[in-house]
Amino acid sequence: MQREAAIREPLILGHKTYKDITDDVVGPIMGPAPLGWKIMITISSLIAVYGVGCILYLLGTGIGTWGLNKTVDWAWDITNFVWWVGIGHAGTLISAVLLLFRQKWRMAINRSAEAMTIFAVIMAAVFPGIHMGRIWVSYWVLPLPNQFGSLWVNFNSPLLWDVFAISTYFSVSLVFWYIGLIPDFATIRDRVTGPIQKKIYGVLAFGWSGRAKHWNRFEEVSLVLAGIATPLVFSVHSIVSMDFATSVIPGWHTTIFPPYFVSGAVFSGFAMVQTLLLIMRKGMNLENYIHVKHVEYMNIVIIVTGSIVGVAYLTELFISWYSGVEYESYAFINRFSGPYSWAYWMMMSCNVISPQLFWFKKIRRSLVATFALSIVVNIGMWFERYVIIVTSLHRDYLPSSWGEFHATSIDIGIFIGTIGIFLTLFLAFARFFPVLALNELKTILKSSGESYKNEQAK
Amino acid sequence: MNMANNKRYWTGLDDLHQTEAFQELQGQEFPQHEAIDEALGNEGLTSATTGRRDFLKFMGFSLAAATLAACETPVVKSIPYTNKPEEVTPGVANHYASTYYNGQDYVNVLVKTREGRPIFIKSNTATGVGHANVRVNASVMGLYDSARLQGPHIAGAGSSWDALDAEVAKAMSASGRKVVLTNTVLSPSLQRTIDTFCESHGADHVQVDAVSHNALRKAAKLHTGVDTFPGFEFSAAQTVVTVGADFLGTWGDAAYYESEWVKTRRPENGTMSKLHAFETVMSLTGTNADTRTMVKPSEHGKVLAALHAAVTGQGSVTGLDERVAAAVKAAANDLKRAGAAGLVVAGANDVDAQLVAAAINTALGADGTTVKYSGDRLFAGDDAAFAQLVQDMNAGRVSALVMHGTNPAYHAADKEAFRTGLAKVKFSVSTSWFADETTARCTAMAPDHHWLENWMDLRIGGTRVDLAQPTIQPLFDTRAAGETFLAWAGQPAAWYDVVRTTHSGGYTSEAMYNDVSWNGSLHDGFYMTGEAMPASAAAMGQDVSASVRKLSAAKGGAFELALYQKQAIGFGDQAGNPMLQETPDPVSKVTWDNYVTMARVDMEALGLNTYIAQRDKASVVKVTVNGQSVELPAFMQPGQTPGTVGIALGYGRGDGGENIGRAAFATGENGEHLQTAEGKPMPIGANVFGFATVSADGSPRYDAYDVTVEATGAEFALAATQIHNTVMDRDSVVKETTFDSYLAEASKPKGQASWNKNHTLTVHEDVNGDGIIDASDGKKTSAFDLWKSHPVEGVGHRWGMTIDLTTCTGCSACVTACHIENNVPVVGKDEVRRHRDMHWMRIDRYYASDWSQERGAEEGVGVISSYTKMEDPSANPQTVHMPMMCQHCNHAPCETVCPVAATTHSNEGLNQMTYNRCIGTRYCANNCPYKVRRFNWFNYQGYAKFQHTNPSQDSLTRMVLNPDVTVRARGVIEKCSMCVQRIQEGKLSAKKAGTPVEDGTVLTACAEACPTHAINFGDLNDEASKVRTNANNNRSYHALEEVGIQPNIFYMTKVRNTESNEA
Repeated sequence: MQREAAIREPLILGHKTYKDITDDVVGPIMGPAPLGWKIMITISSLIAVYGVGCILYLLGTGIGTWGLNKTVDWAWDITNFVWWVGIGHAGTLISAVLLLFRQKWRMAINRSAEAMTIFAVIMAAVFPGIHMGRIWVSYWVLPLPNQFGSLWVNFNSPLLWDVFAISTYFSVSLVFWYIGLIPDFATIRDRVTGPIQKKIYGVLAFGWSGRAKHWNRFEEVSLVLAGIATPLVFSVHSIVSMDFATSVIPGWHTTIFPPYFVSGAVFSGFAMVQTLLLIMRKGMNLENYIHVKHVEYMNIVIIVTGSIVGVAYLTELFISWYSGVEYESYAFINRFSGPYSWAYWMMMSCNVISPQLFWFKKIRRSLVATFALSIVVNIGMWFERYVIIVTSLHRDYLPSSWGEFHATSIDIGIFIGTIGIFLTLFLAFARFFPVLALNELKTILKSSGESYKNEQAK
Repeated sequence: MNMANNKRYWTGLDDLHQTEAFQELQGQEFPQHEAIDEALGNEGLTSATTGRRDFLKFMGFSLAAATLAACETPVVKSIPYTNKPEEVTPGVANHYASTYYNGQDYVNVLVKTREGRPIFIKSNTATGVGHANVRVNASVMGLYDSARLQGPHIAGAGSSWDALDAEVAKAMSASGRKVVLTNTVLSPSLQRTIDTFCESHGADHVQVDAVSHNALRKAAKLHTGVDTFPGFEFSAAQTVVTVGADFLGTWGDAAYYESEWVKTRRPENGTMSKLHAFETVMSLTGTNADTRTMVKPSEHGKVLAALHAAVTGQGSVTGLDERVAAAVKAAANDLKRAGAAGLVVAGANDVDAQLVAAAINTALGADGTTVKYSGDRLFAGDDAAFAQLVQDMNAGRVSALVMHGTNPAYHAADKEAFRTGLAKVKFSVSTSWFADETTARCTAMAPDHHWLENWMDLRIGGTRVDLAQPTIQPLFDTRAAGETFLAWAGQPAAWYDVVRTTHSGGYTSEAMYNDVSWNGSLHDGFYMTGEAMPASAAAMGQDVSASVRKLSAAKGGAFELALYQKQAIGFGDQAGNPMLQETPDPVSKVTWDNYVTMARVDMEALGLNTYIAQRDKASVVKVTVNGQSVELPAFMQPGQTPGTVGIALGYGRGDGGENIGRAAFATGENGEHLQTAEGKPMPIGANVFGFATVSADGSPRYDAYDVTVEATGAEFALAATQIHNTVMDRDSVVKETTFDSYLAEASKPKGQASWNKNHTLTVHEDVNGDGIIDASDGKKTSAFDLWKSHPVEGVGHRWGMTIDLTTCTGCSACVTACHIENNVPVVGKDEVRRHRDMHWMRIDRYYASDWSQERGAEEGVGVISSYTKMEDPSANPQTVHMPMMCQHCNHAPCETVCPVAATTHSNEGLNQMTYNRCIGTRYCANNCPYKVRRFNWFNYQGYAKFQHTNPSQDSLTRMVLNPDVTVRARGVIEKCSMCVQRIQEGKLSAKKAGTPVEDGTVLTACAEACPTHAINFGDLNDEASKVRTNANNNRSYHALEEVGIQPNIFYMTKVRNTESNEA
């Protein structure tokens, strides 16, 4: 049996038996829906419906319902896209990278982080779709053999790379998530009594019987998928960043973008995990599984990635001056002193200054502070993309074309709407899916459970 | 032997040879058992599942289906020509020579028709004089305006021509003064019919111009004794001084002056004329001036007097600002140096000012070289006679008023007096195309043909007679005005015969009698007669001291007002033309609106907003002149003389909600017509003709010396296509130099002269071989390349363009030409305000700033604050106009980023856009350094927001669309195609002719429309082509060369004729 140093904080608090874990996770699924959940899902689905309405209006009327113009041809659409993709980074990082590094603390959070990833990537995928002028021909971005003539996609275009990167990432994440869910679905299947539920969970459990062979294959597939998913964590946002980096626009044309975007993505992804988990652990009484130590670990990741992002911001500024290119240097001077400097300083304070507070152990371990800061980071990361996209575009090469961007109610409505859809999906997940990887947790109960650890220490 | 018995007919070879099989078959009624026998055989019938009931069911269904199919959507029938007209080939354009004249602009044009529809107007270069401007180019749209009167009207109700003729006959028998009121009639035939009408009814003919130039004629008469509009020959001038005359834009015969003036502005010739401008409002001419001095309207006279004093050496003028006096001195010196090649033009419609200007020209010896008094008939309007007419009308003395080509209820200085007078006239009729302000108030309407539907002859003076011919059958039940006059004179005749007759007798020599010459003249659009119009006299050397004294004594108030005309709108006759309304003013870049131009200092003193953008609205000010006031948004205009305001004429059309075209009225945020308090559509801007100071002789002088300007606290959104005014020290966008520094390095090879250095990138190797690696080691940007080169150089065609910034005046003729050629959508004010104008071709206008990073470094101001300071233009800035469209980069950034390869490079160097492949990601637009790509944000052809502005939403107006160019769908990107349809046409006709494509046979719409030939288009691979020669010129460069995108469009360094020390 695996042993863990006694001085390490336990990962599961209190005295839990295997049955307790199953009860804690499966209980909420079998019981009636709590009132709080009903209220939350009502609100979020109303927001979702509003967002869908805005999207339909956009599709019916035209992209002109957004605030874009001849100078700023992307704004909230791609900002939201990159923001959601960024958020979708934490899940795979937690489940794949931390799996490879044998970080056991991931077990409490990986399930919901992965769910969040899936939902965030779905939200992200909405934007490249609806931002197209002619969404009805959006399938032309796929290299499908066709009879339109010799039409083929342009493999030089980073947008095409995006299509491949996002779809690969989404499918691998989905498979990874589902594989992890199989033993847990089987547990639920074995417990639920309703015939329909039994049927559904039975199908979802994919014939899992808990045999040693199944466990063996499960472990192997998880490892293989983790191996596949790990490079994806880095590739997706690198490729997204190339939408900007390979262009000629000052402020976009920057070689630092891929690593800077990846760390920014992990940064925002962890912040979103914090936001969601802190609510979920409270609402679903999971304090014993997701506790201060988990939060602290994640806050450490946030400090590290936030600092990388901060260094990247400063590097950009330095290089813009050092390059001696007047367009480049003006682009950055304009960022922090021009008409959109408020967005820049919003980004700077949210992303660079605020996470530094986590150096203080008290703050790092404070759930309230963590929750507040996680929201601040999410806001900051949204502004980072807004700054990159809008402030670079609104004043590029020819001053005659310099313009402004002002969001319309449809811009805002669709963004808020995707948050609504996302929360609706996440709430549905929390209600019907095992929110903790319960069978995985059982593997560390004896080594990292508080009471067992204490016994061993004796 | 009987031959008949030998004859044998056989049905086939089998029959001939009587084969076995044939004989067998011959005995049977049916050649063989067909499957049908089995189906219908008794056996089959009994076992068939299709019974009687089924049969009835099928029958019923077929009947129902056939009935339903008959009720399909309306059947659209396209009827081919039964007999194809000889000259019309579907898909091939025909061009007809014609002449445009609207009372102010006068241009020989070629009208392009497709399948009998006029769709495009361009200059007829055969005459060699003048050039179509922005207003003329766009005028084709007026033909298809569904607001046009569709037939005669009596008392507001539709009627017939016979009824109207009877009505007129009745009216003419009444006693009282009868008057024919027209604009300046330049048509000998029309004049003849008017004379006939006047004779038969004892009527008077009064002419009045929308914007009066009466003082020029009066002064010319006083000065020379000849009744003439002075003929200014800018091409002969070495020094031009303009005192408030916007001769490149809207003053006088501007369409002629612009192309003439620019002939003296080619630095390659080794000489360049110099233009001194003294003006109040920043005019198009002012933006092109070498030196520009801001003066108030009340100082215009003093400037002229001082110039007169300096040139003649007699007298002196005091009271001029030191700055102005110095500028006058410099201008006078240049004038004296130029002597007979000097020219002074004055804009004020004031006899004294014009007399003094004429006297200066005479003193210079310029009469006969730059000024000719040769009996030109332009601007023959007589303001005094018009004033008398209005007086008579109000006194009830006028019984009948017949109007043609004029709209005094809009443009009269005292329009209310005219309107009340008109109401007192028993019978009034107008031949206007629209029920405009005047026509709507008439008792009858007798609409004339549109000029594109009509015959016309026109003659300004000299020996040239211009002809206009119909290019389409009249769309409506209209009648040529000349025919109308003759019908009313009781001598009906066909208008064509009248015009024809004029030219078989009136002016011409023998040759004109025969049809060959007539048809030849129609083909050319003009002919030269042997006889000049009677005119020409030497200057009489009038003593102008009285005028000088009067001018010197002018006193100004706290605020003075200058009225001017905007390039696109002119005097407002085409207010309903959406394309002109959307054409940005070349100076302010504001579209769709009228505003008060003000200097920054004055605006700051009044606390007004100086920055206009999407959400930064203009402050509304109240300008009061002589008790009349108007509230208009204030616009910060660099170059506006402090202490003055400027307001454009030509706005406020349709103030009574008259039906003058849907685009003539203000639209709101959803494209709806805004309503006035009375529930009528709200006019755009305000009519300020009434603000002109009317002198004793009835002539309006388009300024006022004492006005008040107050802030109202209200705000109003203005829509400008360009909101940033300066070039921010970016030296690879616009390159400019002074004439002396140009001359000093004129012979240097391209890329060497200090004013057009090759852009180099510093590399870490010893390029120049001086043994040290330092910042001076640079390589040309073209040495760095990620991409394989497109094989365009030296292979086949490589289309390219050169744009000379020296000769580009910013007149915007190219903008409308491109707009109309390429079916560019008109999007209306609210969309322009949102920076969503769709122009493929735009003119970037940059003002110089007082500030630069260099100056910042000298004065110890930081880089960041220097950038902020650079955003402000100088108070009286130098200006550059830079036409900007797709640069057709050989390494185009847009092409690499399109995920579906909708934008690609042609093997002829064109960056082409495939609309039906575009999915609308707009990545290309983002990645374009020139920001020339335009996205179809809405379905402009159907979305309600554009119902009043977009021509394609009107079933008639959409006839103007060019059938060679796709109308783009919602959601796709579009941009300049270098008129690929024209290139294709040119290549095809060259192929048919079996010749190579000759230089100059393929021209883009912009190059063709450019009155100054600043834009040249051609094949860069053709070594002899103009465009290649220009591209090799040492003034040419690529904008943003260092981005490495290798455009096919070259700009040529702007050369100003200033001394380098005064720049």
